Amino acid sequence: MNTAPRRWRTSAHGFNAMLLIECPWCGPRAETEFSYGGEAGIVRPPDPDALSDAEWADYLFNRANPRGAHRELWNHTHGCRRWFAVERDTVTNQIQRSYTLDGTAPEPGTGSGTASKLTAESDTTSRIGSGG
Amino acid sequence: MSESTARRHGLEPFLASAESAAQARVEIRVVSNRGFLNLRLDQGDGAAVKDTTQVLGQPLPLASNTCTAGDHRVYWLGPDEWLIETGADRAARLVSELSEALARYHAALNDVSGGHVALCVSGIDARTVLAKGCTLDLHPREFGPGQCARTGLAKAVVVLAAIDDAPTCTVIVGRSFSDYLCRWLAHAARPHGVHFSMVRET
Repeated sequence: MNTAPRRWRTSAHGFNAMLLIECPWCGPRAETEFSYGGEAGIVRPPDPDALSDAEWADYLFNRANPRGAHRELWNHTHGCRRWFAVERDTVTNQIQRSYTLDGTAPEPGTGSGTASKLTAESDTTSRIGSGG
Repeated sequence: MSESTARRHGLEPFLASAESAAQARVEIRVVSNRGFLNLRLDQGDGAAVKDTTQVLGQPLPLASNTCTAGDHRVYWLGPDEWLIETGADRAARLVSELSEALARYHAALNDVSGGHVALCVSGIDARTVLAKGCTLDLHPREFGPGQCARTGLAKAVVVLAAIDDAPTCTVIVGRSFSDYLCRWLAHAARPHGVHFSMVRET
């Protein structure tokens, strides 16, 4: 049972519906097959020694946490085990699209990550493997 | 089926209380002696894919969520990962043949036979029972023969494949989960009448 106060609930449907996430390789799968990896597009500074403590802390801890459109990393843990990025609205939980981290989209149903280039700027893979 | 094998899989209670095969609408066969190889390969490397196909004698499935059947059964697990199911006695030879063919490519081949168990779920209500623990749409229209998926079944990670229209489905699960999954399947299939058996295939 969801014990959170009603005003905290984020689903547009009035209940916490499960997300249906489109894996770029496997197609739409239930949320339970995925692990969340936090905000996408955070680049590890090339020279950490050159940073002040405040800048380093900003890189490590501070996140945008927007109300609305959010780009985030997901891992298809129970499927192809690949990381990819998703654009989700944090208010309505609507997923706009999902895409691979090198900015390419697999041809639908081919499992190949070498086809059409997406227009969006590529997310970096530098945070991958650092937990999440 | 040997008693010790049934004990190892935690299957004794199911075998004792199972319906006869004729009454059962779901038939679950635990196939205890299959060989499994995990293959990692860049599918953009055409030469490596071609050489693998030649050794296997059947195509490597490049389309997502599909499997190919022939001498072996090859399941697509990800854009660069496949699971090859073969007879236990043929696994060692296939490993050496594939390793030799793939030596000059960036590839990895591992014998994971010891870590997997294949369950063959068939019978008229097979899809209904599997659907109780799986979030995929298992209607034949969506998940027909030749399709496979690594997904969750009752919270265990499995490779699920539709084999034929009987319907027959194969569930490949980690060995440490096989006891749990057999118990779950036995419980889920009880209202439909279930017959459990243990087979050794060559």
